[in-house]
Amino acid sequence: MTLSLVHMLHRSVKRYPNSEALVYKAHRISYKNLWDSIIAIASFLKNDGLNQGDRVAIFVENSPEYVEAYYGILIAGGVAVGLNTAAKARDINNLIRHCDAKYLISHSTLAETGKIIQNLEKEINVILIGELAHYDIKNRLNAWDSVIRSNITSIDLKELDNANKLAAIIYTSGTTGSPKGVMLSHGNLANNMESILDYLKLQHTDSILNVLPFYYTYGNSVLHTHLAVGATCIIENNTAFPHKLLSLMVKEKVTGFSGVPSTFALLMSRIKLSEYDLSNVRYMTQAGGAMPPANILRLKNELPHIKFFVMYGQTEATARLTYLPPEKLDEKLGSIGIPIKGVNIEIRDENGNKVQENTTGEICVNGENVMMGYWNDVELTNKAIIDGWLKTGDLAHYDSDGYIYIDGRSSEMIKTGAHRISPKEIEEVVAELEEIEEVAAYGVEDEIMGQVIKLAVVLRPDSSITMKEILLHCKSNLATYKIPKYIEFMSSIPKTASGKIKRFQLQESNS
Amino acid sequence: MSAEQQIRNYVLENYLFTDEQAALDNNDSFLEKGILDSTGILEVIYFLEDEFQIKVEDEDMVPENLDSINRIVAYLDKKMNNHG
Repeated sequence: MTLSLVHMLHRSVKRYPNSEALVYKAHRISYKNLWDSIIAIASFLKNDGLNQGDRVAIFVENSPEYVEAYYGILIAGGVAVGLNTAAKARDINNLIRHCDAKYLISHSTLAETGKIIQNLEKEINVILIGELAHYDIKNRLNAWDSVIRSNITSIDLKELDNANKLAAIIYTSGTTGSPKGVMLSHGNLANNMESILDYLKLQHTDSILNVLPFYYTYGNSVLHTHLAVGATCIIENNTAFPHKLLSLMVKEKVTGFSGVPSTFALLMSRIKLSEYDLSNVRYMTQAGGAMPPANILRLKNELPHIKFFVMYGQTEATARLTYLPPEKLDEKLGSIGIPIKGVNIEIRDENGNKVQENTTGEICVNGENVMMGYWNDVELTNKAIIDGWLKTGDLAHYDSDGYIYIDGRSSEMIKTGAHRISPKEIEEVVAELEEIEEVAAYGVEDEIMGQVIKLAVVLRPDSSITMKEILLHCKSNLATYKIPKYIEFMSSIPKTASGKIKRFQLQESNS
Repeated sequence: MSAEQQIRNYVLENYLFTDEQAALDNNDSFLEKGILDSTGILEVIYFLEDEFQIKVEDEDMVPENLDSINRIVAYLDKKMNNHG
């Protein structure tokens, strides 16, 4: 039977109690110390009245506290809901409301934390890391420092043996009307982790520099896979300074690094990787959208000794669906590879029939990693999962050897850096401006970010609003990564007969 | 126009979308305040190279040199004096 995340971590704690689990700034945390904090948090939550299946929102940047909270929640029987720390308070409050969280764990240094707490609509228990002085809600406010000194209660990990029990919700889009919360069970997380370990061959001697946010599925899987084998995860949240990142990789003698295409594009934009001593790096992984083959080749040329894994996945499939074996990288450049262990993939036409090789269809997947569904949205779940098969919305074809190549997406989501953004999230905010008659957001190609956001705007007659005023409104109400890079004023927005925006037409006019 | 004012105007115009000088303190961390993200820092580097005819070396790309108006001004000062 596949062991749960918690059982795998506990095994690492028993095998390597004094090895470093996490490194964050000047802090180096052993497996034993990490486990002690996790158990203290689990004990606090259980004693404080957390019921099985209660949701606990985590609005905390990547840090030891995030990891301690996540595992503590799982052990206490709760559901961990990691939230995007780059998001604005209005989005976070919306998600807290949507998942009906009973607890919020947050960090006082995050600028939006105060607004989030002030705008909580119902009685929610807040656990705050850092300074408490500014918050006038002490009757339901707990200090993290006292929580991690809680009296330990007996913990029974057998409760986690139920693979079908909900463990986590990951939000993939935050539109006001219909946030999409992917429900992942303990079995989903455990099975996908096992499949990833099967091809990455991670060992306890490995160490990774992690720059990917844990609240997204890719960073989430990097964290869990490393803790599962007793490896070290070095946490760095700042990707803006490539020299600093590479110097840290050299200093810590890391063996692994994971990124999205923009991570690698930024790393290589001005720096020669070959000038750094990265001889300890054994592997690098890439997911989160198509990396231009030219960048893959450049990376391989600069670091010929590393194994470079191109991977593909979806939050709805826990994380990972395919990988391209590094030894096939040259031969199958541009491919997302083959299904990972435990995953079945069929490429189907619009009637649901399997396509022949070299024919484009939709990627449909089946396996123990396919989500339980979307939180509180049966209709959307039933559209996404049919007879146990997840419809990914991604269009692709097989070659004659069974390797898969992505041909496009049937979804309208904008992919910028590590983020997936529903155009509606931006359109809702821009439409709040009275002088806007119509607005459409869409992705246009960008060398570094993959895509950046462009707005097509139709103004009301006699409107005098400027681009800067529209952008200022976006800046006030949207996370930085959701702010459009370009705005185009138009006389009308192309639509279908039923009134749906023709985003592909807008995109084509920019290509 | 001073270097400080040029950089302030660039950041206000392109990332804060305002002419309001009070919107940006010279000590504000671009990253912590969410003014710039990683690509924004890269754009600022290209701006500095174009505007002030300098080359930002790999080892200079650190927050101590680039993560606020005051830090950039100090970095520019050092850089331009070093190169006469």
